[in-house]
Amino acid sequence: MKRLETDDTTVSRRKIGIAEYAVVTDETVLVTSGLGSCLGIVLYDSRNTVSGLIHVMLPSVDQARDTTPAKFVDTGVPLLIDEMNAAGATPSRLQAWIVGGSEMLQFDSGGESIGSRNIAMAEHLIDDHGLTLVGADVGGNHGRSIQFDPAAGAVSIRTADDSNRTI
Amino acid sequence: MKVDIRELGQFNHLASQGAQRAARSLSQLTGVHMDVEVTDVSLVTENVLAETFTGQSFVGVELGLEGGLEGETVLAFERERALKLQDLLLEATGSSDELAQSSVTELGNIMIGGFIDGWANHLGKAINMTPPKYTEAVGPRILPDQAIEAAKNHGVFLFESKLEAMDLDLDFSIYMLPEYRQFVDLLSGTDQGNQIPVNRLSAFEDLAKEGAGNAAGQIGMMTGLDTDVDISRLRFVPLEGVPRQVGDDRFVGVVFELKGMPSGYLVVLFDEASAKTVASSMMPGGSSDEEGIGTMTEGAIKELGNIMTSGFIDGWANVLGTSIEHTPPNFVYDMGSAIMSPVVGKLGKQQEYAFVIDSTIEIDGRQGRCDIYALPNERELARALSALPDQT
Repeated sequence: MKRLETDDTTVSRRKIGIAEYAVVTDETVLVTSGLGSCLGIVLYDSRNTVSGLIHVMLPSVDQARDTTPAKFVDTGVPLLIDEMNAAGATPSRLQAWIVGGSEMLQFDSGGESIGSRNIAMAEHLIDDHGLTLVGADVGGNHGRSIQFDPAAGAVSIRTADDSNRTI
Repeated sequence: MKVDIRELGQFNHLASQGAQRAARSLSQLTGVHMDVEVTDVSLVTENVLAETFTGQSFVGVELGLEGGLEGETVLAFERERALKLQDLLLEATGSSDELAQSSVTELGNIMIGGFIDGWANHLGKAINMTPPKYTEAVGPRILPDQAIEAAKNHGVFLFESKLEAMDLDLDFSIYMLPEYRQFVDLLSGTDQGNQIPVNRLSAFEDLAKEGAGNAAGQIGMMTGLDTDVDISRLRFVPLEGVPRQVGDDRFVGVVFELKGMPSGYLVVLFDEASAKTVASSMMPGGSSDEEGIGTMTEGAIKELGNIMTSGFIDGWANVLGTSIEHTPPNFVYDMGSAIMSPVVGKLGKQQEYAFVIDSTIEIDGRQGRCDIYALPNERELARALSALPDQT
C-alpha cells in the first residue's frame, strides 16, 4: 500500500483545470490536460524557485459576461505575474512557456480561431511584460496535455497519440 | 414555478464550494490529495434517479434542515468508495471502525455544512441542521421517500460533485438532493429575462431523451447492431467543467455547430474500439481491414454523425416552433477534453454555465458506447422554452 502522507504540502503533483491557476514555491509538478484551443501558460523564476501555471480559455475579457480573471489571457497573465511576485518571484527573471491554442474545429462563424487569438494575445503580453519566452508548442489541430517540472525547468507535452516532447 | 438561470448558477457555485471544502477536509483526514473535478445540477425524474442509482450500493448521510431552507437533505457516496475512504482514515489515524464510520458522517456534515453556510449567507437567513443520520442502501432506496415521491411528481434537483484523488484510484461522486418545493422557490429569482418554467425544463429533458432514442435508432439502422439509450440527463454545469466531464481519454467523433433557435453545438463521441466496430458494420460485408482510425472510419463516423444529429435535434424545432440547422461534421480524433475546449470557448463569451444534454448509447449489448453532448446557447434555450404557449 502506498505510504500515506499526512501533510498536504508534500503533494508532488498539482492538477490545474480550465480557468484555474497555481503558484508553487517548491518542486511540485504542475499539470494541466485537455489543451485544445485553450492555452497553458507556464512562468518560472529559477533563482527564487517560484513556478506558476495557468489554463486560460479565451483571449480577452472584453465583452464577456463572466469576468473570472483566470479564464482570459489578458487578465490571466497579469494575475499570474502578481501572484508569483507575491510568492517571491522577481518579474524580470520570469521565463515563459506557452502551449496549446490549436485549431481543433473549423466553424464558419466567428472569423479567426480562438486558438490563434489566444496565442497572439499571450505573445503580446509576454513581450509587453518583458518576460523571456523560452519555449512554445502552439497551433496545429491536435490537443495537448502538459506538465511543468520545476526541478528540470522544462515543460513536457503529451498528445493523444502518446507522443512526447520537452521544451 | 420558474427557475432563474442565474440563481441556478449561484446555487451550483455554492454547491461546488461545499464540495471543495469537503475535498479539503478529506485531504487533511486521509493524507491523500483530493480535488473536485466538477459540480453539476440537474432536474431529474424518477427514471433518471433509477438509472443513476440502480445497481450500486450507497452510504448516505441524512439531515433535516430548518430555517431559511427546510426539509430532508441527503448526501450519498458510493459504498465501495466510502469503504476505501474509511480504510484510509483508519490507516491515517489508527483508530477504530466506529470512528471511521463517524468520520464519514462527519464528512457529510462538513459537506452539507459548507453547502448550507453558503446558502444561508446567500439568503441572509440562518439554516439549522438536525444531527446527521448514517444510512446504507442499495440503489435509489438510499434517498428519502419524499425525494422519490417528488421525482415521480415533478422531478427533483440532483447535485453531483465528482471528486478525484491525485495519485490514487479513488474517484467518486457525492450526490446531494435538497428538498424540492422550497428549493424551487429559492430558484425563482426576480429577473424575468432568464427564467425558465420548471415544467418546460423537464419537458425539454424528455425531448432530449427522445432525440437520443432517435440517434440510437439511426446507429442501429446503419450498422445492424443492437442499440439502447443507457442514460440521458440534462445537466447544468459551469462551462469549464464540461471538458473535465468528458475526460482525457482519446475519442473518435464529430462536432456540429447548430444554427437557429437555439444555436449551439452538438458533439458525438465514440471510444476507439466502438468507432471501429460501428464503421466496420457499415461496410459491405460488415468488416474492414483498416489499421487504426483511417479515412474509412472517418467517412463512416461522419456519415453516421450527420444522420444521428438530424435525428437528435429533429424534435426540437417541432416542439419549440423554431428552425434549427446544423453545419457539416467536423471530424475529431483526440483527447475528449481537448475536443470540448473550443466548444466551451465559443460559448464562453456569452455564458458562464451551460445546459448540457448528456446521453449515452450502448451498442451491441455493452460492447460499445457512444456519447452525445448537446450544448444549446443558454439564453436562446431559455427564451425558446419560455415562449412556448402554456400547456393544458
